[in-house]
Amino acid sequence: MGFLITTLIFIVTGVIASLLVRICCNRGPSGNLFHLTLVITATVCCWMMWAIVYLAQMKPLIVPILSEGE
Amino acid sequence: MVGGGCCPSMELFRSEPMQLVQLIIPIESAHMTISYLGDLGLIQFKDLNAEKSPFQRTYATQIKRCGEMARKLRFFREQMMKAGVSPSTSPARQVDIDLDDSELKLGEFEAELIEINANSEKLQRTYNELLEYKLVLQKAGEFFYTAQSSATAQQREIDAHQFDEGSIDSPLLLEQEMSADPSKQVKLGFISGLIPREKSMAFERIIFRATRGNVFLKQAAVEYSVTDPVSGEKIEKNVFVVFYSGERVKTKILKICEAFGANRYPFTDDLRKQAQIITEVSEKIAEMKTTIDVGLLHRDNLLKTIGYQFEQWDFLVRKEKSIYHTLNMLSIDVTKKCLVAEGWSPVFAIKQIQDALHRASSESNSQVGAIFQVLHTKESPPTYFRTNKFTSAFQTIVDAYGVAKYQEANPGLFTIITFPFLFAVMFGDWGHGISLFLASLFFIFREKKFSGQKLGDMTEMIFGGRYCIMLMAMFSIYTGLIYNEFFSVPFELFGKSAYACRDTLCRDATTVGLIKVGPTYPFGLDPKWHGSRSELPFLNSLKMKMSILIGVTQMNLGIVLSYFNAKFFGNGLNIWFQFIPQMIFLNSLFGYLSVLIIMKWCTGSQVDLYHIMIYMFLSPTDDLGENQLFVGQKNVQLTLLLLALVAVPWMLLPKPFLLKKQHQERHQGQSYMMLHRTDDSLEVEAHHDSHGHEEFEFSEVFVHQLIHTIEFVLGSVSNTASYLRLWALSLAHSELSSVFYEKVLLLAWGFNNIIILIIGIMVFIFATVGVLLVMETLSAFLHALRLHWVEFMNKFYEGDGYQFQPFAFALLSEEDD
Repeated sequence: MGFLITTLIFIVTGVIASLLVRICCNRGPSGNLFHLTLVITATVCCWMMWAIVYLAQMKPLIVPILSEGE
Repeated sequence: MVGGGCCPSMELFRSEPMQLVQLIIPIESAHMTISYLGDLGLIQFKDLNAEKSPFQRTYATQIKRCGEMARKLRFFREQMMKAGVSPSTSPARQVDIDLDDSELKLGEFEAELIEINANSEKLQRTYNELLEYKLVLQKAGEFFYTAQSSATAQQREIDAHQFDEGSIDSPLLLEQEMSADPSKQVKLGFISGLIPREKSMAFERIIFRATRGNVFLKQAAVEYSVTDPVSGEKIEKNVFVVFYSGERVKTKILKICEAFGANRYPFTDDLRKQAQIITEVSEKIAEMKTTIDVGLLHRDNLLKTIGYQFEQWDFLVRKEKSIYHTLNMLSIDVTKKCLVAEGWSPVFAIKQIQDALHRASSESNSQVGAIFQVLHTKESPPTYFRTNKFTSAFQTIVDAYGVAKYQEANPGLFTIITFPFLFAVMFGDWGHGISLFLASLFFIFREKKFSGQKLGDMTEMIFGGRYCIMLMAMFSIYTGLIYNEFFSVPFELFGKSAYACRDTLCRDATTVGLIKVGPTYPFGLDPKWHGSRSELPFLNSLKMKMSILIGVTQMNLGIVLSYFNAKFFGNGLNIWFQFIPQMIFLNSLFGYLSVLIIMKWCTGSQVDLYHIMIYMFLSPTDDLGENQLFVGQKNVQLTLLLLALVAVPWMLLPKPFLLKKQHQERHQGQSYMMLHRTDDSLEVEAHHDSHGHEEFEFSEVFVHQLIHTIEFVLGSVSNTASYLRLWALSLAHSELSSVFYEKVLLLAWGFNNIIILIIGIMVFIFATVGVLLVMETLSAFLHALRLHWVEFMNKFYEGDGYQFQPFAFALLSEEDD
């Protein structure tokens, strides 16, 4: 559940970021497409990294074994 | 090779469309036209006179003139540097200074400066001689009388001795002074002067030998070093006085003095006269000093005057030289009294170029305007990307590997994001990320100041990449939050940790470990992992799998870009017989691995992925047993294996045969070559009919395809494994950072001593900055660069284009050619 919600948050952040970039630097169709590509690439990269780390911890096969003196 | 756009055009994705233009310029407006085009900076002229040597070209004399002026400017710059005057950097009124005027002025200034220099040199030499003279007067005066009396005594001895012997030639030796009567006053001559201290011993010895000991030499050292009039350097010297008798001895001593570079000065034994001479010399010295000072002041003023206009002149000379170089590249059409220029320019610049041509013709009052036409050619145009200060750093990174072929997909577009991202995967620590971010902000806020200055090599590179470093830092902060490392310390920023003790007493926390009691830690790595004994096995597995997933994604992106390239260049063969089998091969093997990784994580099963992959190849038809991750896995694996096996000959075989068929079709329908327009310049044709008849060697094409296939197939394994460096560097970074934290900072804290704590903090800071912020940054930068250049770009990039280098005054380099 947490996975889907956070994925949704990432999507929404991506949309908001592209809108902000469109508002602040509107440079004609090719320039806008360029900015959109950058924002989408960044969102996808960040989401992928978060998703990998989250999925790996969902059903762990090993657990933290504390070292002495913790 | 017209582009078929399936999608709307995107800035920076493909290089600007370029065209070959021809300008026909009347001679009277040629100089002005080229000047305006240079201001515009959007045409790259082709050299139409390539066969001519530099001396045969039309404007060789003008270039020589400019060369002379540049030499004078260099001379001025040297003189200004020596005098410590810096050229005024204020841009001054942009008055259009004429070249001929400037030439005259430069000549005048140079003559004046040379004269002033010669005069001051003479004055300086005289001044130094006077100083030495004064020294001789002072020092020699001190020991003269004692020396003279000892010399006289010695001479009497020698005379007595000689007289005793009664040699025949003694009367011949006597010229004036010696008399038969030893009681008479002995008349000695003396020579005084200064000799460099290092030569003084040799001087003494040689004088002694040459005169057979018949002289008396007395030396006294001068305490401070004296400026030698001849060489102008400060040398340690001795004042000497030589007493001799006889003319022959005198000439010998004089010759020896000259040979040793000893400066001689007259000395009187008259006491009164001595004092008078000393005062005279002191007066003269003071006069000289003032004269020299006035001279220097005059010279400095002259240099300052030069300095006001220096930058302007410098720029003017370089500009004119480049204009004449460009004019030399145009071919003269003698019949029509005009120059023909050919060059590459971007399509969007047509209007600007035509405007510049109109302006130039009207301002130079020429009868005819310049003619502008577009030529059609099969030559490959240069590559031009319009970058701003933000994207230029990333484009430079891509261009360093190879300049993109004309209008192929530009990896620089994705590099803007993926390069800092891959850097951050290897660098992940939000404390270090913040430090790097602050450092980049320092350069960004001082942009204007730094871009005007001349920076050192290293600083220049860092300044050029300031936006790249800023992005790298921002992504590092993000990945640092995900890895949960702030200078290797984890924080519970996003909620409670998911792990807790099995029972309330936490008895087996250190043996069997904690268990997962809550929901997964929502953002990033659970803080309980840091410092635990099973941290490394877990993190290694996580990071390795992450590297594989990121790698497979980036490689797929590369192959998809090759699809877009094939579509754009209308190359259907590449789509069906390269793109599709490549996608099938890569994804049926490594895409399947990625899917397995994700499924294992989602289901939490304990299957061994190594086993699955290996046995998929070794014994695909065997029963899976404990390696079963999902239902129907065996059939899926068999299908994928078959697809991968089929993809290899699909990549290798059809393309060469189809290329051969294509070539034959083209060749059949082409009995004649394209007729070229019979235009004015004959030279134009010579350049354009190159690609008429292409050769087609089937064996060459087949071998090329074979190499390409093998490279891809073997490369898919090695490139995927190469992405594991993301894991390796990230591990190294976090280990180094935790060592510095635990073994330096915590250790220093444990002593409870303020001094040790301060020392510990200093060592921690130096180690962090030196090793982690500098060395690790460079290391991660390099590896991210390699991943881009090799693993990403070899899937689609050809990179055999050439850079667009327009004729622009803004791009004139500092050095003369």
